[in-house]
Amino acid sequence: MNLTKLTLGAALLSGVAGTAFADGHAKELHFIMCGGEVREADQAVVDQFIADNEGVTVNLEAVPWGTCQDKSLTLAAAGDPPSIAYMGSRTLRQLANNDLIVPANIPEGAPYQPGVLNTVTIEGTTWGYPHAFSTKALYINCDLVEESGQECVAPTTWDEMFTMAQGVVDNTDAAGVGLAGKDFDNTMHQFLNYLYSNGGVVIDPATGENKLDSQQTRETLEFYGRLASVAQEGPTAWERDQLKDLFNDGKIAMYVQGPWGYGQHNEDINQLVAPVPAGPSGESGSILITDSIVVFKGSGNEELAQELAQRITSGDAQYDLDSSWGLTPIFDYSAMGKDDLYYEAGVWPNFTASISTGGPEPIVEDFKSLQSVFTNMVQGILLEDDTVDNLVTIAGEELDDAL
Amino acid sequence: MTEISQALPSGSAMPRTKTLSEAVFAWLLIGPAMLFIAVIVAWPLAETIRLSFMDAGLGGEEYVGLANYQELVESRKFHQTIIRTFYWMFLSVALKLVLGLIGATLLNAAVPGRGLFRVLVMPPWIIPMAIGMFGWLWLYNGYFGILSGTLMTLGITDGPFEFLAYKQSAFYSAVVADVWVGTPMVTLFFLAAMQGVSRDLYEAAWVDGAGRWYRFRRITIPQIMPVIVSMSLLSAIFTFNSFEIIWILTEGGPRGATTTLIVDTYKTAISNFKFGEGSARAVIIVILLGIFALLYLNVLKFVNRKYGTK
Repeated sequence: MNLTKLTLGAALLSGVAGTAFADGHAKELHFIMCGGEVREADQAVVDQFIADNEGVTVNLEAVPWGTCQDKSLTLAAAGDPPSIAYMGSRTLRQLANNDLIVPANIPEGAPYQPGVLNTVTIEGTTWGYPHAFSTKALYINCDLVEESGQECVAPTTWDEMFTMAQGVVDNTDAAGVGLAGKDFDNTMHQFLNYLYSNGGVVIDPATGENKLDSQQTRETLEFYGRLASVAQEGPTAWERDQLKDLFNDGKIAMYVQGPWGYGQHNEDINQLVAPVPAGPSGESGSILITDSIVVFKGSGNEELAQELAQRITSGDAQYDLDSSWGLTPIFDYSAMGKDDLYYEAGVWPNFTASISTGGPEPIVEDFKSLQSVFTNMVQGILLEDDTVDNLVTIAGEELDDAL
Repeated sequence: MTEISQALPSGSAMPRTKTLSEAVFAWLLIGPAMLFIAVIVAWPLAETIRLSFMDAGLGGEEYVGLANYQELVESRKFHQTIIRTFYWMFLSVALKLVLGLIGATLLNAAVPGRGLFRVLVMPPWIIPMAIGMFGWLWLYNGYFGILSGTLMTLGITDGPFEFLAYKQSAFYSAVVADVWVGTPMVTLFFLAAMQGVSRDLYEAAWVDGAGRWYRFRRITIPQIMPVIVSMSLLSAIFTFNSFEIIWILTEGGPRGATTTLIVDTYKTAISNFKFGEGSARAVIIVILLGIFALLYLNVLKFVNRKYGTK
C-alpha cells in the first residue's frame, strides 16, 4: 500500500513539476484567423515573431468567415478565449461591451487613412488594430456590354447603370447586373454601397441616432427593386463572392466588388472598373469596412498578443499584406516614406477615391440583428413582398430595437 | 451473485443482508448510466430551463421571470414559425411514410437482383448529412445545377430557376432534401417488418381469391401497423428537429420561409448570443415534443390492442 501511495505521489509531483516547467518555458498563443486561410504576409510576421521569442509558439487557426466570428465569441464567452483573433471590426462593440477584449495600443499619429480608426473606436477607446481595409467599385464586363450593342463607358448615375444593364438583358443571354440578397452579411454591405452613393446614413455618427428611415433609403431600395428586373435569376440565393463566378462565366455584365476582384476575374474578360454610380441624392461612395486584430482578455498571454498584434499591423508588414492581397491601402503610405505606391496606378483610383466620400459599417452591439434588418428589407423588395415605404418603415423600427 | 446466494442459509437476520447487498449491487450497476444521463441530459435540461427565465447573453445574466415566454406568446413571427414547423414535419413525414411503404413493397417483391436494390437504397442515409446537402445545393443552383438545366432543356422554363431563392420553392426544396435523407430508414424498417409477416396468411388469402391490392390492404398494412406507428413518431421527432438540412440549404431564409423552431432556436441562442430567449424556445420545443410523445404512446397502445401485439 505504501509503495502504491509513494508511486502515486511521485507521479503527481512529476506531473505538477512538468506543468510548472512547461509554463515557465513555453507559451502558446491561439490565433484565430478569419477568412479560411493564412496569408503569406501574415505568416511571415508570425514566423519572425516565433523566432524572436524563444519558447513561444503560435497556433494559427484559419476559420472561414461564415463561422469564424461566432467561434471566437463563443470561445471567449465560455471562458476559453483565443489569445488573439483577426475579425470583422463590426464585432468590436459586442466584444468590448461584454468585457471580452482589451484596448489596442495604437501609436499616436499612426497615419491611417481617414475614417479607418473610426471603425475600431468606440466612445474614445480603440479596441482593435485595423488590419484590412476595403472600399468597393463597379466591375463591368465590356465584352458583354459591347455584344449588346452599347459602348462600354462607365455609368456615373443610377439611371445610366440601369440603362446599360437593361441593354445587356435585351440583347444578350446574360443578366445586366449581379445582386447579392442571401441571408449573409454582404447583402447589407452591398446595399450600403448604394445607400452611401445616395447620401444616406444609417446611424448619425455624432448623436448615435437611427437615420435609416429616410428618403435616401427609400430611393435606394426602390432602385434595388428596379435592378432586380435586370439582375441574375434569384438574387436571394446569392452572396457577393459567388457573383464572381457568374461574372467570370459571362452571365452577369456588372457587379460591385472589392479591389481583390480584379485579380480573381478571368484574364480574358475585358473588364472596366468604375466608382459605384451616384444616386439622385448623393455622390459616388462606398462602404468602408475594416477587419481588425483583437486581443482577448483572460488568455494569460495578453502582453505577447499585444506585441504580435502591433507587429502584424505595423507599417511594413501591413504594406506587404495590402499590396500582395489587393487591399485598399489602410495607411497613407506616402506619409510613411514609401515611394512605390501600388495604389496610384491602374484601377486603384476607383477604390481610393471613395475613401473620403464613403460611409462606415455601422458598429452596434448586436450586429447580427443589424444584419437581419437589412437582409429583411432587401429580400422584401427582391421578392416583392411589400412596398418600399413599408419595408423602410419596418427596417427603421427594427433598427431601433437592435440599437 | 453466486456468493450472495451461497451465503443465504435459513435464518432471521440473513435475508436483510441479502436485500441490502442486492440493492447496493443494483445501484452500482445503474449508477454509471444514471451519472451519464444526469451529466449529458438532466443537467443541460435543467440549465436550459433556468436560463429561459433569464436575460442571458455574453455579458452575464439577469432574472426576468416569464418575460422571454411572454415575448414569444405575443410574437406573430413565432406563431408563424410554429405553424411552419408542424407543416414541415407533417408534410415531410407523410412523404417519407408513403415513399417508404412503396419502396419496401418493391424491395420485398421477388424480383431478380433485389439484394442489390436493397443496398442501393442506403446511400442517402449513409452519406454524411453535410456532404449530401452540399450536393443538393448544387442540384438546386439555377445556373450550374442539373435540375434547372433539365427544366430548360425540356422547355419547361425559359431560363435558369433558383430553387432556393423564393419562399415557396425554397421550402419545398428543403422538404424534398429531407425526404431524400429520411426515406431509406423508413423503407428498411418497413421492409424488415414485411419480411416478418407469415407467408401462410398471403397463401390463404390467395387461395380465397384475394387480389394483390386486397392482400396488401388487409394483411400487410395491419401486420406492420405497429412499425408504421413507431416509425411515424421517430420520423416526426427527427424531422421536427432537423437542423443541418435547412441550415446548409437556406439558413432559414429567404425572409424566414424555411425557419423552423430548431433553426430559430439556434439563430437566437447561438448566432445572436441571446441565451435566455433561445432557451425559452428550446423549452417550448421540449414541451411540444413531450405532448407529441404522449399522444404517440396512446396511439401505440390503441394500435397494439387493435392488432393484437404486445
